[in-house]
Amino acid sequence: MAASMLVQRAAALCGTFKGISLSKAVLPVACHHGVMLQTRCYNPKPLKLNLRDPYIPDKENEKTPEWQKTARYDRKLFGRYGSASGIEPASLWPSEKELQEKIEEEKEWNPPLEVMLKNIEAKEKEEAERRRAKERLIAANMSKMPKMIEDWRREKRETKQKLKEEKARKAKLLAEARERFGYNVDPRSPKFLEMVAEIEKEEKKKRKLLKRRLKEEQGAAPPAGQS
Amino acid sequence: MSLTKKPGAKALDVLQNLPRISLANLRPEPGSKKADKRRGRGQHGGNRSGRGHKGERQRGNIPRLGFEGGQTPFYLVVPKYGFNEGHSRRPQYQPLTLKRLQYLIDLGRVDPTQPIDLTQLVNARGVTIQPLKRDYGVQLVDEGSEIFAAKINIEVQRASEGAIAAIERNGGVITTSFYDPISLGILIKPVPFFMRGQPIPRRMLPGEDMVPYYMSAENRGYLADPEEIQQARRALAQKYGYVLPDISKDELCHMLAMRKDVRQIFFGLSPGWVVNMPEKKILKPTDEKLLKYYSS
Repeated sequence: MAASMLVQRAAALCGTFKGISLSKAVLPVACHHGVMLQTRCYNPKPLKLNLRDPYIPDKENEKTPEWQKTARYDRKLFGRYGSASGIEPASLWPSEKELQEKIEEEKEWNPPLEVMLKNIEAKEKEEAERRRAKERLIAANMSKMPKMIEDWRREKRETKQKLKEEKARKAKLLAEARERFGYNVDPRSPKFLEMVAEIEKEEKKKRKLLKRRLKEEQGAAPPAGQS
Repeated sequence: MSLTKKPGAKALDVLQNLPRISLANLRPEPGSKKADKRRGRGQHGGNRSGRGHKGERQRGNIPRLGFEGGQTPFYLVVPKYGFNEGHSRRPQYQPLTLKRLQYLIDLGRVDPTQPIDLTQLVNARGVTIQPLKRDYGVQLVDEGSEIFAAKINIEVQRASEGAIAAIERNGGVITTSFYDPISLGILIKPVPFFMRGQPIPRRMLPGEDMVPYYMSAENRGYLADPEEIQQARRALAQKYGYVLPDISKDELCHMLAMRKDVRQIFFGLSPGWVVNMPEKKILKPTDEKLLKYYSS
């Protein structure tokens, strides 16, 4: 028997290796010999029950332990001895009240498939919505990014330029002070500050003058244009 | 004199004259206390009294477990992170390789002419399932898929794609199905359950986290649409490059087409039935409400 099994296995194996057409031919053969297939039947443990003299506890007796008077134990007795136990078979199933409780409990804790599917769908939808919202936010922020970078660069450039100009102006003022007083002046000294104020005043005046002249020119120009 | 004698008068007299029980005369039951060992007395003086030589051990000043003498102890050095969070509550699936399944079939421990479910595998001592240790069943692993050559109708709880392909290549059928822990306990040990004389319960549906797995045809879930399963079978055959054998023309067609109901635990036994082992009888309920409950 074992040898036949081995041959069968080997043939089936060859079939799988060589190609499908061969395996197709082999498999039905294996099925024909399926009757020959040796299977070790399951050898169950003996039940070890004393069916001739069953122990049925006396429910009226005080000495009978409490747990032997329960419905659960009655069912067990029926399972052990069958109708010899004297248990009403109808009592094996839950009573109407117990059944009602069971149904209610199941209703509370085990929702039907449709409800679960709906919940799952809702959850997935919510998750997708959240992800999409986040993606939208990221996209919106990223679209602002080039402009922000440009702004930042320009600002940086401008500050640099400003700093440079300030430095140049200070150096120029110092040079002028040196020219005027003939020595290196401390930029914090009142003399220097006075000089700076003076220069600023002059510049203001000059600017004013320039403005006036410009205005005059403008006032003169239209009549010239008219004539 | 005989008139003055009352029953129990002597005992009453003794009781009245004996001293009352008070804290002053309470003492433990003789023999309930054992005298402490007095170490280092008599000829044993001057020795170490069984505490070893020197140090924390002799002086009974051993620091707590894990303390490394002031150095940051190992259990605090390694930071913890949630990789293993909830590991004690995660479902486990005992692995069953195709190699081992083939071995069981070759030895005749599993009968391939009958549908194979967890009961057959456990009875063949192919796997050990412990529902109390969060085992939810078996997972079919594709190790040995190249040597697998049996045509079977098997029901497992999880299956890898390679394992599904190997079984379907040989013209077999595979289903993944869920058993709640109570049903699982009944499925792996039917006889002790039948001896309890209880009606077979309904199999519960999987929880929300597991429903997608058992609804998908790629996993051959038991809640999936049969039409979709047919499509998935064809798609898998194309992916793995084999020709799908036609089951309907097979002589084992009836066996291969056998499937359990969503609420069914055993093949051929409906929920609500009571199986009586000593009398070899099956009892079925007749009450309308019970029938309605067990058939829903």
